[in-house]
Formats: sequence, C-alpha cells, structure tokens
Amino acid sequence: MRKVAYYKGCLASLSAKELDSSTQALAPKVGLELVELETVTCCGAGDIHEAEPDYYLHLNARILAYAEAANCDTLLTVCNVCTLNLRQANWQLKNDADLRERVSTNLERVGVPPYSGNVEVRHLLWEIAEGEGYELLKQSAHRGLKGLKIAPFYGCQILRPSKILGFEDSDRPWSLERIIEACGGEAIDYPAKIKCCGFPIIQAREETALGELIQPIEQAKEAGADALVTPCPLCHLSLDAWQSKLKESTGKDFAMPILHLSQLVGVAAGLEESELKFKRHVVPVTPVLEKLEV
Amino acid sequence: MHSELAPAPGSTTIDVALKIWRYDAETGEKELKRYEVEAPDWVTLLDVLDLIKDKQDGTLAYRKSCRMMICGSCGMRMDGAAVLACKTRMYDIAKSGHVPVISPMGNLPVRKDLVVDMDPFWSKIRAMKPWLDPGYEEPAEKERIVSQQQMNVIHKEALCIMCGCCVSECNSMESDPEFFGPAALAKGMRFVGDARDQADVARLNDYNTEHGIWDCTRCYFCNERCPKGVDPRDAIAKLGAESIKQGVDHDMGAKHAKWFVTSAKTTGWLRETELVPKTQGVVSAIKQTKFALGLARRGKVPPPVPPHVAARVDESRKLYNLVKEQGRDGALGIVQGEHALGRIEFAEQAGVKTSDPEVRPGVEPPHAEG
Repeated sequence: MRKVAYYKGCLASLSAKELDSSTQALAPKVGLELVELETVTCCGAGDIHEAEPDYYLHLNARILAYAEAANCDTLLTVCNVCTLNLRQANWQLKNDADLRERVSTNLERVGVPPYSGNVEVRHLLWEIAEGEGYELLKQSAHRGLKGLKIAPFYGCQILRPSKILGFEDSDRPWSLERIIEACGGEAIDYPAKIKCCGFPIIQAREETALGELIQPIEQAKEAGADALVTPCPLCHLSLDAWQSKLKESTGKDFAMPILHLSQLVGVAAGLEESELKFKRHVVPVTPVLEKLEV
Repeated sequence: MHSELAPAPGSTTIDVALKIWRYDAETGEKELKRYEVEAPDWVTLLDVLDLIKDKQDGTLAYRKSCRMMICGSCGMRMDGAAVLACKTRMYDIAKSGHVPVISPMGNLPVRKDLVVDMDPFWSKIRAMKPWLDPGYEEPAEKERIVSQQQMNVIHKEALCIMCGCCVSECNSMESDPEFFGPAALAKGMRFVGDARDQADVARLNDYNTEHGIWDCTRCYFCNERCPKGVDPRDAIAKLGAESIKQGVDHDMGAKHAKWFVTSAKTTGWLRETELVPKTQGVVSAIKQTKFALGLARRGKVPPPVPPHVAARVDESRKLYNLVKEQGRDGALGIVQGEHALGRIEFAEQAGVKTSDPEVRPGVEPPHAEG
C-alpha cells in the first residue's frame, strides 16, 4: 500500500458524496492508502484565482503544507479543477524561491506549517492509468464491464494547460480509454471528449453553458454509448444534473447515465451499491447495470 | 576518427502527405483532398503548402506573409488544433507515416479553403479600444518613464500577434458567437494593466458586459493554442481580479467568484447551497426552485445547516487578512506567479508527454462551416 494524502475537494464532501465513498472503497484495491486531511479548505475552484489570486496561492499552499506535514509525498485529487489549481500553485511555489519564502512566512504567521515544496499533486486517473495502479486495476476489475460501450469524457482542467497538467497529450489523451478497456468495456470515440462541459459558467451564463454541455451528451448518444464516464465531479454535476435542462430547451431526452471514474472502475471491481451510491444520480444508472447483469 | 558526419540540413528529403479541406463559399462545394510532395527535411507546414501551390495546384487558397511567426497570417487547423503553419515542422509527422488533416480555423466564417473571414475578430479587438488613454489631450512636457517592473505586468499580453489561433477552439465562442473571446480580452488586459493608461475603470465596465470576461468557460484551449505564450485565459483572470479590486463586481460571474472567497474565509469549504442566490439574486434563484427540488431529491443540495467546516478554519481567515494587508491584489496576484510558470518549458519533469510514438488522431475534425 502506498500512503497518499487524500484531497476530497468541495463536491465529493457535499453534493457528490458518491464520488468520495466509491473512491474510498476503490483505493485499497489499487494499492492506495488514503490519509484524510481534516484541516484543508477549498482550492478556490478557479474562482478565488480570478477574484483574489494572492489569497488563492496561499490557500493552496496551506493545503500542500498540511499534506507535507502528514508525511505524504503525493496529494491525491479526484477533481479536475482541484488538480489544476493545486498543481499551478505548487509549480509556482516550487520554482520561485522568493515567492515560496514569502508564502511560507505568511503561513507560519497564522500557525500553518511551512511548505518546502516536496509534494506532488496527482489525480486518481493518473494513478490507475499506468504503473502499479494500472496492474492492480487489471487484477481487481474481475467483474468487468462486458458488453458496455462507454464514452470517455475528460473535461478541460485535467488536460489543459498541458504545461501544468502534463500527464498525456492534451489533444489525443488515452488514459480513460485504457482504463475502460482494462475493465473489459468498449471505449467509444467522439470529438467533444476533450471539450468543456460548461460548468464554470452554468450559473452566470446558463445558455452559453448549455450550448457546451449538449455536445458530449449528443455525440456520445449518437455513437451508441451506454454511459459516459468523467474524472471530474464538476463535469459530472453539469452532465448529470443539468441534462434535464437540455430536455426543456431542445425537447430531446438523452437519458445518458453519467458515471464518476471511481464508480465505473468500482462497478468492474464489484463494489457494493452502498459504496457506489448510484441512487444519488439525477439520470438513472439502472439501464447500465441491467445490461451488465444480462 | 569519425568519418561520418551528420547530413547538412536540407540535404535529405522527406515525403510529406496532407489531406486538405478544399471549400468554396460561393458554390458551397467542399472536398477533402490528398496531396503528396517530396520536401527538404526541415520544412514547415507552410513550406509544404507553398510547394503544393507552386507545383501541383495553384488554386489552393491560404494566407501567409512573414514566414517567421510574427505576422500572424497563417493560422489554420492541423488535426483539429489551431497552429501557425510557419511554426509547425513536418519531419516527425511525415516520418511517422501520419497524414494530417488541414482545415481552416474555427469560430470564424470560411471564405475559401484555409482562408477565414477575420472581420468578426477585428471588430472584437476594436471594441476593446486598443489604444492608450493617458487621461490628457496634450503630451506632457516631461518624458514619462515606465519601469521594467510596471511593464512586466503586461509583458505576456504584449506578445500577441493577433493570429486568431486562440479564438479557433474557444468553447464559449462556439456556444455564444458574440463572446469577446480570448484575443480581444487579452488585448483589453494589455491596456488595463498598462501603467500609463488612465481609463481602467471605464474599460473594466466595458468588458464586464453580457459577452465579456465572465462568459469565459475556462476551457484553457486558448492557452494551449497560442503560439506566442500570451496565455489569454490568464489575461481574462487578471481582468476578473482587477474588476473585483476596482469594485466593478455587478456581473453574476463576479458575484459567483466572490462567494468562493467568502466561503473559504468562513467555513473553509464552498457553501454550495447558498451559491445560487448569492450569484443570481434571490428572485432568479426562486425561479430555479423546481430544478433545485429535483436535485435536492437526489441529495445534490446539501443543507446549509450545520455547515461543513474545515478544522482550524481561523487560519484561512487570518491568511486572507494578512494577504490583503500585503497589497498584491488584482492582476499582480497572478503576475507574481508568471516567473515560475514561464520556467516550465525548460524543465524536464513538466515536459508534456507525447504519449504515443506514432501520431494517432482520434476522430477527424469536422469541417468548419462558413
């Protein structure tokens, strides 16, 4: 077991509790021991970066400092937006000694341990797409996803800006496809899989956001997908919860089930409903599960 | 002694194949046509297009001028991604055997083949009032010196060559064609951040309109595509930070962003349920009641009481007060990190994995319609 600090983020703590429970249940099967951090706060979700960028940097430094204080060299994320925000701040702190000095001094002044730059921020997707995590995944996904066509939806902030994320080619990513296939499913291809779900502006500019949201759902449907999987709870909320609004505006009922990455792998690994919590979804997942049973 | 020397550049040739979307706006005819040329090993995409036009098909239309990444004329898509043709070397692609699809940039009407109509692009740039407003009519008697430090604030935005690559894949603009977009807003930041400009507040009010800065969906395609390192999305974030600093915060986007700050200071975690009324106002939020109830049935609307509070959240509040005292508000808070971010390109561990030795596109990009 590899010990990693687990950064849940806001959504997995609140409206996407199913992401947390499925991640916690899956982790030991892919060789990860999660150390929960009680003291950490929101990463700012890009909003604090845009409203109060200096505060954003300090908030994220505080999260990294507590991961370091817990003797972990990896901070595990389960959200694209957390991943980008934390990695961006981490890069700045690691590579600018003056900036790190100032931020660390400020942290100490309010009682936070200083941050010396020894933590790496990594998304669960990356942990199970290669290396030991991938090998363990292949072993534990024994129940498989046979017969299921799954549309991988990456979302933006796990791919771009690639100089900060840097795990895979941002125009031709492969990690989700590899995981789907390792679980025995069929990964379908469609152009919008690397595009935006519209979530960041879904409250301030709903119409523009819905124009983005419809693309992956419509294209995945046309390509014959049984479900769509995403590594980001914000994409999940947008695609799952706001899908009903597409029905209002377009008259089409796509009924496309949306799965968190940990749920998709969790199904293949035989996790229980109490851990997967599909009942918390707005679009029913039952058709997928029924197809799997047959 | 070594007798074999590496061949001089250009002394060997490669076979390059392209598939180009041919299109004529007048007749509406379109065709994906394949071309093959033998070319020196150092060729760029633009050189290959020149060879095709000179030797095989003089009717091929595309724009070019400087051939050295400064005029911004030759923006186009290769396998769906906007590039400057003159900056794109073909050696690795040709050697891999991959035949890339070349198409015009997105989000702009197509005139002929790879030529797009740039009028909508320029009208958005003009809407930013891209000239200095020093706040006086007559030139000052004394020369006004601007320090390097002051110019550092806009050094990235000033690199823009207005090629349109950032606009090509802008996801918000696909959905709202009137969105000012990354190029225009980066131009706006170039003036808002200019120490000599005295019209910041007026500018920020102009940019805080319906199709302005808060229309950006943070897809980061613009940062990814920009061939000059402008990072337009970061420029938009700087405009957001400057707007909030200057009190230009009437837009729902600004209110949304400010609620995250309030949440981080008070409970540490996003106060999700209160986000809608804080962003849209109570009346609009009530109109969403039916939708919200649907979500609530699935546990998607966590009750605000008791709040989910981070341990030692007082540290978060104290941090806020401390950084506010230190005065790196607004765009400066983002600019301070650029030195480190600028070093990524030179660091091995951050190098983007090309992931696959052979270049394998997923789905061929659809042809952008005029």
